[in-house]
Amino acid sequence: MNTIEKIWHWAAVGCFVGPFLIMLALFQYFPVYEMLRDSLYDFSLLNLAKRQFVGLENYRAIIDDPDRIQAFYVTFMFAVGVVVTVIPVSFSIALYLNGRLPMRAIVRTVVFLPVVTSVVVIATMFTFLYDPNNGLVNSALGTIGLTRLQFHTNKHQALPAVIAMMVWQQTGFATVLFLSGLQGIPKDLEDAARVDGCSPLQRIRFIVIPLLMRTTVFVVVIMTVFSLQVFAPALVLTGGGPEGTTNFVAYDIYQLAFYLQMPGLASAVSVVFMAVVLAISLIQMRVLRVKETQA
Amino acid sequence: MKRALQIVAGIAVLLVILAIFFAPYAWVVASSFKPQFAIFRDLKPISVATFFPNEPTIANFVHLFENRGIGRALVNSAIVSSCQVIGTLALCSMAAYGLTRIQFKGSNVVFVLVLMTFLLPIESLMVPLYIHVTGLGLADTLVGVFIPWIASPFGLFMLRQAFEEIPRELDEAARIDGAGHYRIFWSIILPNVKTPLATLALVTFLFSWNAFLWPLVILHSPRNHVVQLAIAQSVSIAQLPNWGETFAGATIATVPLIILFLFLQRYFVRGIALTGVKG
Repeated sequence: MNTIEKIWHWAAVGCFVGPFLIMLALFQYFPVYEMLRDSLYDFSLLNLAKRQFVGLENYRAIIDDPDRIQAFYVTFMFAVGVVVTVIPVSFSIALYLNGRLPMRAIVRTVVFLPVVTSVVVIATMFTFLYDPNNGLVNSALGTIGLTRLQFHTNKHQALPAVIAMMVWQQTGFATVLFLSGLQGIPKDLEDAARVDGCSPLQRIRFIVIPLLMRTTVFVVVIMTVFSLQVFAPALVLTGGGPEGTTNFVAYDIYQLAFYLQMPGLASAVSVVFMAVVLAISLIQMRVLRVKETQA
Repeated sequence: MKRALQIVAGIAVLLVILAIFFAPYAWVVASSFKPQFAIFRDLKPISVATFFPNEPTIANFVHLFENRGIGRALVNSAIVSSCQVIGTLALCSMAAYGLTRIQFKGSNVVFVLVLMTFLLPIESLMVPLYIHVTGLGLADTLVGVFIPWIASPFGLFMLRQAFEEIPRELDEAARIDGAGHYRIFWSIILPNVKTPLATLALVTFLFSWNAFLWPLVILHSPRNHVVQLAIAQSVSIAQLPNWGETFAGATIATVPLIILFLFLQRYFVRGIALTGVKG
């Protein structure tokens, strides 16, 4: 390649890949650097020029403040709650949809509706569904003679109520992933098991579940990462309360930065949060890779 | 006998699933056509009237458009989402071409750099991104809402996969005929990836239309509000919400997407399943 060809070659590379890389650097890499830097400063968003270097003081403030620790704790519990509920529910629905039962198309569509609905609309819907006095859920419970619940207005029921909402939204997504896994299982394998006299339950236990291990871990990773980033329910439905029981980290960061005007501390929380999410997804992906090589 | 039992069980499961996933929608949409007192009246006991407006009125919708500026919010959302779709398709397809069709030193490094951003939780970036975008003079503008997301790692990943599947003999032949990168990209590659492009466009539109946290952070003045912000505002804890109006807002924001989804279900499901890669 001579010099002119070389120039043309790199010009072409620059034209095609350059714009993407510039935008990526500008809006992803640079903010990460800024976040790391800002976490060492004390300042307010109202006057960015006036900032004071405080070293690791913001990080110390996280460890010392029970509110910050609680935010991480409730977010973690939220993710655990969502994952352990959504997996069996969506797996069962996927099994149902994979069978030869009537009206599969309708069920698939209806289950998937919440996935295309925005979190804000869903949180709004549930604000009214959960309304202690005039909500649809309490009305339904009353109609069949059960005790009414207080949902997000009670400090013991708030987190489970938000978990239920998230499960309701994410079930369709997880179901689609499970369904595509189920459709990848060779038919003759199941037929052979049937010929050998396996009951449907045995077929699920000894053929379907082991073959779906990879899909399952995959769904677990996605659901965990989605759940850890929960934000809108806190803003719309609970306001982070009662008593901080739904003060999820993303909402905490938002409040710290934009209401309490402590973007330095908010950046430090963001750094810890990013590290935690990265660590969890990397660990889960390592598990995924192990399963992959076993399968 | 056993077969009959199976059918009964199947129908029972079906009804429960329909009730849990569909009843909330039916209630919200039906209630958006009712005045507030009728919503409460029809609630107890639960009956057909709960899920069906007997004397439908469009007063809630009229009020939303006349006094709450929902029309403006819908237009803003449409602008933001369309621009985000166009920007994402342009940037991602060009970068995917560069990474799959031009051999250059460091292309692997580029791809790893992109892959790494897959794992970044966007929620943790809102504070520095807010400061950064404000510094660029894009705070409280519609451009500021979509511009940070058009270099989508997910989009690049998906299109790169699709581009790899196009046989290289096609562009070799075009090259021998004297076509340059621009021609090959435009007349050979793009026409062959229409389905992946459509899928990416749909998923991007969905995410953009439904986005909440970033617009909330970056937009201040009501005239720039997108539709999700308008809805969230009408339920804000500080004020007593008007149920019918809020439901009407939720209906307006959701029904277009649901209709789109019903027609293009196949692409949606495929695209959403693929976003799992992004996590």
